[in-house]
Amino acid sequence: MILGFLKPPPLSPRLLRLKDSALFATLTPLELKIVDGLLHERRYLGEEIIFDEGEEGQALYLIMSGRVLISRALGSEVEVVAELSPGAFFGDLALLDNTPRNAQARALDNCEMAVFFRADFMGLMETDAVIGYKISLALARHIGARLREWMTSGKSQIDAL
Amino acid sequence: MNLMPHQQRSGPVVWSGIIGATCLLLFLMQQMLWLAIPFLFAIILYYILLPPMQRLIRLGIGHNTAAVLVGWLFLLVLVLGTLVAVFWTSPPTESWQAMLGRYLNGGLAFLRETMLSLEERFPILHQVKLSKMVNSRMAAFTENFVQKHLTEILVSVAAWLPSLLLTPFLTFFFLRDGLRFKKFLARAVPNAFFEKTLYLLHEVDQTAHRYFQGLLKLTILDTAVLALGLWAIGVSSPLTLGLIAALLAWVPYVGSIAGCVLVVMVASTDAPGDPLAAYSAIGVFIFVRLLDDFIFMPMTVGRSLHIHPLITVLMIFIGGSVAGVAGLMLVLPLLGVVMVVGETLGRLITNPRLRARHRYAQALRMKQASADLAAQ
Repeated sequence: MILGFLKPPPLSPRLLRLKDSALFATLTPLELKIVDGLLHERRYLGEEIIFDEGEEGQALYLIMSGRVLISRALGSEVEVVAELSPGAFFGDLALLDNTPRNAQARALDNCEMAVFFRADFMGLMETDAVIGYKISLALARHIGARLREWMTSGKSQIDAL
Repeated sequence: MNLMPHQQRSGPVVWSGIIGATCLLLFLMQQMLWLAIPFLFAIILYYILLPPMQRLIRLGIGHNTAAVLVGWLFLLVLVLGTLVAVFWTSPPTESWQAMLGRYLNGGLAFLRETMLSLEERFPILHQVKLSKMVNSRMAAFTENFVQKHLTEILVSVAAWLPSLLLTPFLTFFFLRDGLRFKKFLARAVPNAFFEKTLYLLHEVDQTAHRYFQGLLKLTILDTAVLALGLWAIGVSSPLTLGLIAALLAWVPYVGSIAGCVLVVMVASTDAPGDPLAAYSAIGVFIFVRLLDDFIFMPMTVGRSLHIHPLITVLMIFIGGSVAGVAGLMLVLPLLGVVMVVGETLGRLITNPRLRARHRYAQALRMKQASADLAAQ
């Protein structure tokens, strides 16, 4: 009770939503606040394209609200890779390098996104190695889980994410 | 379904636009030099103070408090440094006007002696009265210069000084609101162009950051090497001279010549009857310039801008003719930033897929906004 002032202030609803994502789950409230300062807010309408397959990737997208469809072209057909809901993130390979996107992302409903730009992530790795390694570890676990899923299911489309 | 065309290099239209925009900005900057100079200093200070501010934020200090703390700490260090310099150096025995006159006379005497010795060696120069001609030209120039330009320069410098007080304010607001401003700019960009524009903002920031950081490193290296060389040949105040010459070198070509003249003036005044001292000073200066041009510059500033050498030289001349000394000094960082903006805008505007996506998003917005209207 006496040392109550040492308790960190409660997280804002936005920071709580960020904390719910696997990418930022291990961050402390202060670290979350620093990362939140770097995130850009974007709003997309249902059916609006977020990025195209083949486009040079610069950022990771975290879904705050709404749903997103990930698809890619197989010849003349369009193959649905995944349908993502709030808390999920996509375009994560763009955080590692600037290779072309493997799939197209399109908003299914009106969406709100938090966008994490690669240059900000790289800057964070230099200025704040602890946050950098926590996010990198989360990213590595996410990619590892996808790889395991791909190896057990035999599906090839999961790497499109 | 690779809908995005591969990155193409900018064509002549984009490059003409880049050069035209740089010239226009230089012209505008020259008209508002009172604002451009404190703005430039504020940008340099911003890049110096940003890393310590980020450390303070990491310690849990709020963004605004960190900006205030860093600003005050810097001011404290500056005041303490000045006080230490004032107490440690002995007070000058003569006024600065007398000192300037003494060094100017020393430099002129060296020039006169050099002309005479040249005339002795080459009789043809004696016949054309080289020494007499140079002496009369120099006398006319110094008289005219003092009468015509010196007062003008002193008055304009005095007029600039109050505007330099803007520097700390600008730096504080850059530190406090820089990130917010970047986000504010990004928010105004349509979704289709968002990623590319973010990249553009980042590249502009990085170009300016690398340039000014490189310039600071270059100044420190130049000062150290020149001071060492001048100290080795016995010139007085080598560190101060080295620092002034390194700062003058910020202005391409003209600055280097002014620095060399300054060093020769001091060396010839220190050893009036010994022209070897002045020749050694010239030798040291040329050696340091060579080191600077071929080793230090490519290691520091040269890496930052990635501009073709021919365009660099041409733009320096254009900058000098459009905006004088300030143009010479600022043309390269300005060209670097305009180049990044121009190339990226060129790519955005000429990309049919991004434009189509933007039109599609606009149509969706319109459809959603008028959905209930159509039903009635």
